[in-house]
Amino acid sequence: MAQTREEIEARLRRIEQRALEGDVRVAERQRAEGKLTARERVARLLDSGTFVEEFMLAETQVTDFGMAERRMPTDGVVTGFGTIGGRPVYVFAQDRTILQGAVGQAHGEKIAYAIETACKMGVPVIGLYDSVGARIQEGLDVTKAIGKIFYANSIASGAVPQISAIMGPCIGVASYSPALTDFIFMVRGTSQMFITGPSVIKEVTGEDVTMEELGGAKVHTEVSGCADVVADDDDACLAQIRRLLSFLPSRSGEPPPRVDTGDDSDRLVDDLESVVPAESRRSYNVLNVIKRLVDGGDFFEIKGRFARNMVVGFGRLDGQTVGFVANQPNWLAGAIDVDASDKAARFIRFCDAFSIPIITLADVPGFMPGVAQEKTGIIRHGAKMLYAYSEATVPKITVYLRKGYGGAKQAMCTRELGADQLLVWPGVELAVMGAEGAVNVLYRREIESAADPDDVRRQKIAEFNERFSGPFDALSKQFAHAVIRPAETRIRIIRALRMLANKHEDRPRKKHGIMPV
Amino acid sequence: MAIPVTAPMVGKILNLVAKPGDQVNEDDTLIVMEAMKMEIEIVAPSSGTVTDINVAPGDSVDPDTVVAVIA
Repeated sequence: MAQTREEIEARLRRIEQRALEGDVRVAERQRAEGKLTARERVARLLDSGTFVEEFMLAETQVTDFGMAERRMPTDGVVTGFGTIGGRPVYVFAQDRTILQGAVGQAHGEKIAYAIETACKMGVPVIGLYDSVGARIQEGLDVTKAIGKIFYANSIASGAVPQISAIMGPCIGVASYSPALTDFIFMVRGTSQMFITGPSVIKEVTGEDVTMEELGGAKVHTEVSGCADVVADDDDACLAQIRRLLSFLPSRSGEPPPRVDTGDDSDRLVDDLESVVPAESRRSYNVLNVIKRLVDGGDFFEIKGRFARNMVVGFGRLDGQTVGFVANQPNWLAGAIDVDASDKAARFIRFCDAFSIPIITLADVPGFMPGVAQEKTGIIRHGAKMLYAYSEATVPKITVYLRKGYGGAKQAMCTRELGADQLLVWPGVELAVMGAEGAVNVLYRREIESAADPDDVRRQKIAEFNERFSGPFDALSKQFAHAVIRPAETRIRIIRALRMLANKHEDRPRKKHGIMPV
Repeated sequence: MAIPVTAPMVGKILNLVAKPGDQVNEDDTLIVMEAMKMEIEIVAPSSGTVTDINVAPGDSVDPDTVVAVIA
């Protein structure tokens, strides 16, 4: 006999209740660890009351190994849409209170659907990961579902912003889904990402390592570079994601949101000259330069603790989002190494994909010398920066703050690599190599045969420095468009951005380039 | 646990900022060295007490030379 409307209602409410409540003991354990539950996270991530859930009553269709009796509504992941800052987004959050958030067939398909749909609708997608891993009972069904997620992530790449937050374990093959997204957030102390866990490592290589040592926030934001931002707790993590999204457009082809920041576009930055010491061997923190340039000092740094010799992140100028790429003189002298190249190239490509102008602040002593760098492929990795800058068709503005030596000059986006404005400060030094090295090569015989070699060397060094210090050569050879006073850097970048607002550049027709990776 | 602090690149030690016994916070400058004609600060990788400073001004260092130890 058919069920009455009341019976159907009652049954629906029971199932919905199971989905909403999950395992209460697990929820308590989450809270005891200082974590939020999946539903609390979604509610705090989105604008209040905007979440619309989809496929709440989906369950795994796999029945092997007792799954027929254990299946639960949602299949361990909360998915749907809502708004952030008034703009639509798709979201999915793995729910530890249901089947431990393990990835099953329905779970995987729900995530893949959320990503595909975000891509089709042209809205960002945010994934909140907290799962014990793939549900082994589901065998190939779960393998297939995870494959669909990877495919969806890859196809959506560059079409809509994809943001991941690791808010618990994210282990095994599942960690490749966030790896395919644009930005990964981690929560200090409660999140881990790794492919093979401590017990497998112990078995195979005999190494003893904890989950946190292996794949905690510190490892991934400082050493491996797999993650971009670390937050102190769930709330801070979710607030940071909202803040990052405020800089980004919803999809490729849409300009980033323009914000009235109230900062004066004709503001002089008088103290820049003192922030950057004139003497080129003295170091300084380039973040202090960026924070003085951007509207309201508001800068969102990406990968702040990985490859710290290169600073990248988002700010606003004249209310418009821009991406900064800057050498950091106070870390490894600002030399470009393998990791710095990777970090910058990836960021440049993100900016280009999402119509974000790129501001490059150059003060670079060269590529990092050393056997280790050569053996880890500084040629291959350094090439990424050249490629990414050349490929980018967004407005590109480069300011030489102090020095550029060797091939590293090109890696910081010269006119030859497509810089639309290249500005230099008056004290700039641009040369193929430092004076001492150059003089030893150029005048070796003359110095060796001189009555007083040291005197000749000193004299040649002074001549070399005179020839290459200052902006004169750069201006005469049209390396730079103009020399600017440090205080007017912000004004001149903003004027260039306004001139570049309609920039359009076509490229040869092809399927895609072969980026060195 | 003793945490070794290594030189980040080939260079020369200029001066010592921290001395054994000092309490330091993560990212505090321990030693200033020179490389690529630039002054480079070697900072504490984590908070703790400086137990050893293994170099003196003028010393040449290679990447991975242990210049200090924090515990």
